[in-house]
Amino acid sequence: MLSPPDAGPRAATLADLRRVIRRIESRNPFRRHAEAPEVALGGEVVENADGRLLVVRREFPLDHRHGRIALAEALAVPPQTLGLLGRSIDGPVAGDRLVFLDTETTGLAGGTGTYAFLVGVGCVEDDRFVVAQYFMRDLDEEPALLTALAPVLEGATALVTFNGGGFDVPLLETRFVLARRRWRADVGHLDLLRPARRVWRAGLADCRLGTLEREVLGVERDGDVPGALIPSLYFDFLRRKNPARLGPVFGHNRDDVLSLVALLGWFGRALAGDAADLTPEQLAGLGRLLEAVDADRSADYYRAALAAGLEGMEGLRVQLRLAGWEKRRARWDVACALWEAATASRIFDLRPWEELAKFHEHRQRDARAALEVVSRALDAAATLGLAGRARGALAHRLARLERRARARGVPAS
Amino acid sequence: MAAILRDILDDLLTSPSTGPCVTCTRHFTPRPPVLHSFPASLDPRLAEALRARGIEQLYSHQAQAFETVATGTSVVVVTPTASGKTLCYNLPVLQALLEQPGARVLYLFPTKALAQDQLAELEQLARQLPELRMFTYDGDTPQDARRAVRARANLVLTNPDMLHSGILPHHTKWAALFQNLRYVVIDELHAYRGVFGSHVADVLRRLRRLCRHYGSSPRFIMASATIANPRELAERITGEPVEEVAESGAPTGDKLFVCYNPPVVNPELGIRAPYLGEAAKLALRFLRERIPTIVFAQSRLATEVLLTSIKTGVADRTGDAGMVRGYRGGYLPTRRRAVEQGLRAGEVLGVVSTNALELGVDIGHLDVAVLAGYPGTIASLWQQSGRAGRRSGPSAAFFVATSAPLDQFMVTHPDYLFGTAPEHARINPDNPFILVNHLKCAAFELPFGAEETFGEVDVRAHLAALEDEALLHRAGGRWHWASETYPADHISLRTVTTDNFLVIDTTSRDEKQTKRRNIIAEVDWGSAFATIHPKAIYLVESVPFEVQELHFREDEEKVAYVKRVNVDYFTDAVSAKGVWILRRLADRGHPAYVAEQGEVLVAEKVVGFKKIKMGTLENVGSGEVELPQQEMQTTSAWLTPTEETLAAISRSRDELIDGLRAVSYLLHHLAPIFLLCDVRDVGSWLGDTTPAETGAVATRESTRRRLLDAERFNPTIYLYDSHAGGIGLAERLFEILPQLLARGLETLEACPCRAGCPSCVGPVNEVGRRAKPIARALLRALTA
Repeated sequence: MLSPPDAGPRAATLADLRRVIRRIESRNPFRRHAEAPEVALGGEVVENADGRLLVVRREFPLDHRHGRIALAEALAVPPQTLGLLGRSIDGPVAGDRLVFLDTETTGLAGGTGTYAFLVGVGCVEDDRFVVAQYFMRDLDEEPALLTALAPVLEGATALVTFNGGGFDVPLLETRFVLARRRWRADVGHLDLLRPARRVWRAGLADCRLGTLEREVLGVERDGDVPGALIPSLYFDFLRRKNPARLGPVFGHNRDDVLSLVALLGWFGRALAGDAADLTPEQLAGLGRLLEAVDADRSADYYRAALAAGLEGMEGLRVQLRLAGWEKRRARWDVACALWEAATASRIFDLRPWEELAKFHEHRQRDARAALEVVSRALDAAATLGLAGRARGALAHRLARLERRARARGVPAS
Repeated sequence: MAAILRDILDDLLTSPSTGPCVTCTRHFTPRPPVLHSFPASLDPRLAEALRARGIEQLYSHQAQAFETVATGTSVVVVTPTASGKTLCYNLPVLQALLEQPGARVLYLFPTKALAQDQLAELEQLARQLPELRMFTYDGDTPQDARRAVRARANLVLTNPDMLHSGILPHHTKWAALFQNLRYVVIDELHAYRGVFGSHVADVLRRLRRLCRHYGSSPRFIMASATIANPRELAERITGEPVEEVAESGAPTGDKLFVCYNPPVVNPELGIRAPYLGEAAKLALRFLRERIPTIVFAQSRLATEVLLTSIKTGVADRTGDAGMVRGYRGGYLPTRRRAVEQGLRAGEVLGVVSTNALELGVDIGHLDVAVLAGYPGTIASLWQQSGRAGRRSGPSAAFFVATSAPLDQFMVTHPDYLFGTAPEHARINPDNPFILVNHLKCAAFELPFGAEETFGEVDVRAHLAALEDEALLHRAGGRWHWASETYPADHISLRTVTTDNFLVIDTTSRDEKQTKRRNIIAEVDWGSAFATIHPKAIYLVESVPFEVQELHFREDEEKVAYVKRVNVDYFTDAVSAKGVWILRRLADRGHPAYVAEQGEVLVAEKVVGFKKIKMGTLENVGSGEVELPQQEMQTTSAWLTPTEETLAAISRSRDELIDGLRAVSYLLHHLAPIFLLCDVRDVGSWLGDTTPAETGAVATRESTRRRLLDAERFNPTIYLYDSHAGGIGLAERLFEILPQLLARGLETLEACPCRAGCPSCVGPVNEVGRRAKPIARALLRALTA
């Protein structure tokens, strides 16, 4: 038998060994005596006609701030604004009857084999905002979960989600249909991802809820669990029945629900005309959001964005869009000023030059001014070292204008 | 036309050049139709729709199918090509939809093209009926149209692959369909054999399971070409009792079936004239007289080679080669549709096709079918020859034999050819590899009850194993899917993966500098390395393209860039190969040999290519390529003669290797007769049992050197299942090995050649001078 040469002095005593074992065991996730989930997660096991499930409730006063926004702000958003944010909402909806919903699922694959194991819903009860989380402690608790959830959905005037149109709502519908239960297909639905995409398409790197929290809502999460890990944490819980690592999942879900409220509050504030702390990009984004429903207000936001110093591609887009509207109303001086401003942009774009040239040629019947615009454009293109289509189009227009000028006996400049 | 056809036939049978090649003819006399009046229960609106299309009476099998379905049982209709089988299922289906507007029906076709065809046919028939909402639903259905199809369609036409991965896993979106599913129509039932058929049977088990969940129990209406066991296949695939309707009432015209063996051009070496040339000559005789002709080739390459020579031959005379077209898998759908349309309209006079046109694609009627090579099964033989023949007037079908032993056996044993029943279609949905995959999908769709069976199978052990793998989770007495993955995405019903290579012609791109991609064909993964390796000549409707680059890495798009070239050769890939034993499962001793059965690894690699001249088919050069190895795990039977047996026959390892290769060739080509499968379903290899460096493939020649130099000489004949994982062919081979060896000896001794020919142990110049006597001695010892 081999033993280390200096075994004597370093040999562990039995007591040391016991301590080590105890320390190892205390970290062992396989410990037999895990806490019951309702204790670990601070909830209550509820029983209904279809079985039991765990419900975790947390209450918040209405003046609770989630990041920069107080919950009450979202709940006071006027019905017209809600209608403007979500097309599928018919008729006025009172903010205090909204149900904010977010699910945690066993995967993103969709189809009938993906479970919503944790459904968080937030709504106003008396003077409190309550987030109730319905959780199946095992996959056979789904019937009980659906039974508990059904009256909440039935009572909602509208659901508020983030990407619920593409994910949470069809997934819940699948679960209800699979269980052969009634699904309220007519429930109003406000998916905040849609307006968020319109507002932040140009302003942010992406439109994930996490990004919006950081950049817009001022929400800092600590100890958050990445969404991609959530299914495996749940599967792990199913097999080992240790709820210790589920705490952050519940926290994540609750934060998502609160962020929905805050995001709606942000929209309410921004669309109420309180433009004080909005960035030029946000103003332009709100203009884009309003384009289809209220052109006048959209133009107001666009003008505010330009006044606040909007630049780059988005600035150019807004200038051209506004100029287009002015052109349609034959307010040529305003349109021309916008086109001129657009030609001064650091990004070369053919359109404002062409609009100006057309204005001079067809509107003012001033071929010389048109020629001048086109040669300025060619100079600008040459300065930027542009070749290809833009130069070709300009050269073509220039040649045509010169031909016409010659035909009328006007000397080309 | 009829007179010209008869004249040509007479000339072919009697002229000194072709007459002696005809080994046998069979004359099929015309048969008048057997007609029935419309069944009394037929909805008057439907009867009116039939009359509007000029149908006053039904063929007996159509009426019988209608009556049988009406009794509430599932039915399979077995009738020849072009006998009006679609009415057999369309009538009862439309009747049901008229009676019960809420009812739903699902049609399954093996290909998307067939579904499109049948939708057009249905729409014709339903033109005067109240609105029926019929849609195809497959990979081509636009995303925004899918929702409408799911919600509105009474009748959905799809394929098993789409049912497997797109419909069943999303069944809640199809709840209206599953709740009201009245009939499932399965056309081309005979296509669902082997591994593919086993998968489809399991997909249908999943379908029936969901129907039970939604409270419906659909009946199945199936149509099959002639096979030995249509009813058995139908019952096995649907898991339901099925009635068979087999008596066709459709008329047939006068038809001559001719067996044609190309002439021997070198009696010493046993070499016959190339069969492709002979097939082309026959087809040209008819095409030059403007007689519509279809030519079936047994591979895609053979299709292109045949098409080239037929086009050349036709152009000689008329200057127009466009009336002859090619048709095969890999052509783009638009090209295929154009050929089908041209055939129906009579603008295309001749077509050279792979078995792609064996299925029920509507191409109208042709007068002559030339089968270049035995299609591998009796069932295919009749399917393909059935493409020729009108309801009246004469027609002809030719079977032109290759020099392969199976073809030679068939062409010289017409009694066997005409007397043998078509093959059994074998499926094994309980094959554990296939079953477990579908159990995963089924659990994804709906949790499994503790006492629930799958089909008739007790699957509790399978489910427990899946739970151990952490794919399922047991709760409340049921097994739930417990994984983030979508299992159907990882399970393909066909051995052909969907990972196709696009073949892109860059000829004009280089000139015009455009970015537009000119896609000229698709090649499936399995045959890509052999057909579109760099420097390969790839033929599309006989136009040669040279492959410039092949992109096959996992992280890149699978494409081959080709350029139009003018060459007079095509390329044939040279492969290296290896077979290694992974696990022994059974063995059997014999004084002369050890036979074993188990799992093996088969690896193949394309290492080079031969250049073969068009027309003369002579070898005019070669080249090398660097491509990755393709591996497959499968089951095999193998046979190792004892050292004493070998030593008693010869002391030359060289001679013994020749003899053993001769025996493998013979056994491989005879095995399909016992297994009722295609020769391509089995692979053979001569290796040994010393665990070689696994993964190091070798050509035939370097394998020979290894055997010659090996310390212990224990050469082994492997006969393995060509389907990854195996579908039970190797187990059966192991069982019947003694009979197979006996049949091998019998065939060899009966063969009149001196030193080996393609009909017994292989052509002498391939297997060696002494191969035949050594093979005879070996077989005598192995059957002693």
